[in-house]
Amino acid sequence: MPYEADNRLLARLLKGEQPAFTELVKTYQSPMRAVAYAIVGASHADEIVQEAWLSVIRNLAKFEGRASLKTWLLTITANTAKSKLRQIRREVSLDSLPGGHDFNPDQRYADDGHWSSPPSHWEQDTPEALLSQEELRECLDKTLGSLSDVQKSVLMLRERQGLALEEICNLLDVSASNVRVLLHRARLKVFATLEHFEETGEC
Amino acid sequence: MLSCRELAEQASQYLDKDLSLSQQLSVRMHLLMCRHCRRFIHQLRLGQQVIRQYPEPLDERLDELAKQLAERSSKQ
Ligand SMILES: [Zn+2]
Repeated sequence: MPYEADNRLLARLLKGEQPAFTELVKTYQSPMRAVAYAIVGASHADEIVQEAWLSVIRNLAKFEGRASLKTWLLTITANTAKSKLRQIRREVSLDSLPGGHDFNPDQRYADDGHWSSPPSHWEQDTPEALLSQEELRECLDKTLGSLSDVQKSVLMLRERQGLALEEICNLLDVSASNVRVLLHRARLKVFATLEHFEETGEC
Repeated sequence: MLSCRELAEQASQYLDKDLSLSQQLSVRMHLLMCRHCRRFIHQLRLGQQVIRQYPEPLDERLDELAKQLAERSSKQ
C-alpha cells in the first residue's frame, strides 16, 4: 500500500470527520497556493485555491489512490488555474523584480575562475540560529518579495514541499531548463541575502 | 578541471542530484580540494534549510475553511 496514510485520511474525510478536514486544509493549503500563485499570479491565487477546494470536495469519492493525495490536489489546483488563465496567457519571465541581493559572479571570481571574493565564515551557522534573528527574517521577506510569482512558487514547491523538478515543470507548464534557471537564481538570491546580513548585520 | 566559477553554475543541480555521473564526480573532486567552494555549497544548503524552516504566517482562516468544506461535503 503505497499511500496508506492518504487512504486513512480519505476514509475519515468521507465519513465527514471535522478534524480530518482541518488536517487536510492545514497540510495542503500552502502548496496549493504556491501552484495557483505561479500560474495566475498573486491577485487571483486565493480565488483559485478556493475554487480548487470546492472541486476537491465534489470529487473526493472519485479519488482512486493511483497517485498521492498531494499530487491529486496539486493537479486539481493547476487545472483550475490553467482553465482560468486562457485569456491572460502570460509569458514566463526569467527576470526577477528589482530589490533583494544578487550573487554577481563578475565580482566574486577572478579571470581564471577562482574566487576573488570567497564566501566568509558566518557567525550563525545553523538554520535555527539564522532564523532566530528577526531582522534577518525581514530581509528574507524582502528578497522573497523581489522574486517573480513563478520563481517564488518554484522555490517554495522545491524547498518546502520537496516536489521533484519534473513535477514542478508539469504543474506549472514551465520547461525543465527554465525551472532550473529560476531555482538556481532564487537560491543564489537567498544566499546573497544571508551573506550580506552575516557580514554587515543589515539588509 | 572545473573552475570555482563553473562549480557555482552547477551548484543548484548538484544540490538536486540533477547532474550526470561524470559532472557529479568533477564537482566532488573540486570540493575535495577547494575549501572556498565547500563553504559555498555548505552555505547554499543552509539557505535551503532556512527556506524550508521559514515560519509560515499562521492563517486563522484555515479553520473556518475546513469547517465550511466539512459542511459542504456532508451535503453532497
Ligand atoms: Zn573552488
